[in-house]
Amino acid sequence: MANTTDKQEVMLRMHDIHKAFGDNEVLKGIDIEVRRGEVLAIIGPSGSGKSTLLRCINKLETIDSGSIEIKGEFLVVTNGEGRAEYVETKKERQLLASTGMVFQQFNLFPHMTVMENLLEAPMQVKGLGREEIEPYARQLLAKVGLSDRADYYPSQLSGGQQQRVAIARALCMKPDIMLFDEPTSALDPELTGEVLRTMRELAEEHMTMVVVTHEMAFAREAASQVIFMADGNIVEQGEPETFFSQPREERTQAFLQNML
Amino acid sequence: MDKLFDTFLLMLEGSEITLEIFFITLLIALPLGMLAALGRLSSLRLLSRFIEFYIWIMRGTPLMLQLLFVYFALPMVGVRLPDIAAALLAFTLNYAAYFAEIFRAGIQSVSKGQYEAARTLGMSYPQTMRRIILPQVFRMVLPPVSNETINLVKDTSLVYILAMNDLLRVARTIVQREFDMTPFLIAAVFYLAMTFVLTWGFKRLEAYYGKYDR
Repeated sequence: MANTTDKQEVMLRMHDIHKAFGDNEVLKGIDIEVRRGEVLAIIGPSGSGKSTLLRCINKLETIDSGSIEIKGEFLVVTNGEGRAEYVETKKERQLLASTGMVFQQFNLFPHMTVMENLLEAPMQVKGLGREEIEPYARQLLAKVGLSDRADYYPSQLSGGQQQRVAIARALCMKPDIMLFDEPTSALDPELTGEVLRTMRELAEEHMTMVVVTHEMAFAREAASQVIFMADGNIVEQGEPETFFSQPREERTQAFLQNML
Repeated sequence: MDKLFDTFLLMLEGSEITLEIFFITLLIALPLGMLAALGRLSSLRLLSRFIEFYIWIMRGTPLMLQLLFVYFALPMVGVRLPDIAAALLAFTLNYAAYFAEIFRAGIQSVSKGQYEAARTLGMSYPQTMRRIILPQVFRMVLPPVSNETINLVKDTSLVYILAMNDLLRVARTIVQREFDMTPFLIAAVFYLAMTFVLTWGFKRLEAYYGKYDR
């Protein structure tokens, strides 16, 4: 702890995370730490628990034990009896507001236009007036290259465009940490590029990101840290250069071999 | 010709009761059905069970029986309602149960991802329901609700057993008095006209709410 003070702010710290679905233990004591501006890529075979881990960060899944800290404040701690205890609702809302999420299936609101999708949460949750937030929303749409699609409905867009809208929608709440849950897995191969490009740009602007992905090229080029998970454990962790060129663990080597 | 016109006027009067029962039932049963659907899906087990039971009773027994029960059995335990209120009570309770099942199916067919997206954007449960889920549900349930609504038009004729002068009863009275079948034909035209207007209205609604799925 003492030696971290001189480095950048820790945005997210998860410690000894345990999580089971019934008898099936999916997370067996995971530790991760993400600093401001870092991009953490989590890779691994399906069923390794990587999506569950990501979903624990914003409480889409609750943990059984362990602790999660967001920007230095505890979202959940483990009490003396070894059970996870979340902070009170108001605090929880405040902490979770600093996270934004992008889903595999986009999950845009189909009955709203692109612009309405972006404005919905800032207006409903933050109570902002349309004129206060719309310029920013337009800026975000320009950033993801969809300025001309503001009045379209999601069904009128391609998968890649929908996912870029989803990214803009999450950004419109001005989160400090962006969570990506296999953002390109539901896309046709020729559409993944545009989404990854948007994500790269975000990374270059020093957005703190946690990305669960199967895109090895993205992890290699855009991540600052790579974690390989299997069977609910972190098997190997490192900076992308060494991680991809000289993986230490046999399981990592076998996995990477398969992906290439 | 004059006689035909008189018949027509009498039946127009009869259709007043029909329309009254139709509109008031719809006005109460739709929101009541929505509340019942939400209650049925509630995590409060007792509430959910109670509503399940209510729906089972209402769908499992004939509407005719329910009408007779409210009209004849309730007064025996001291609840005496005016005719129209008794009919409306039975109709709304019955139709709310059907609407509840339609709404429940609609709510459950909205993907989990919609709730999750709303939640990760910081929206509360009431906000999520009101702004995200229910508008999608309305769109999805329009066809089955349209069906039920058209059934309701025709079911209103059941009140003739309560000696209320609705469209059908007026028609039958004239037929019996005059030995002329024309009132039945006129009644058919009346019912058809009502269902025609409804079908058209629901078509418009579907087109309006369907604008987002191309």
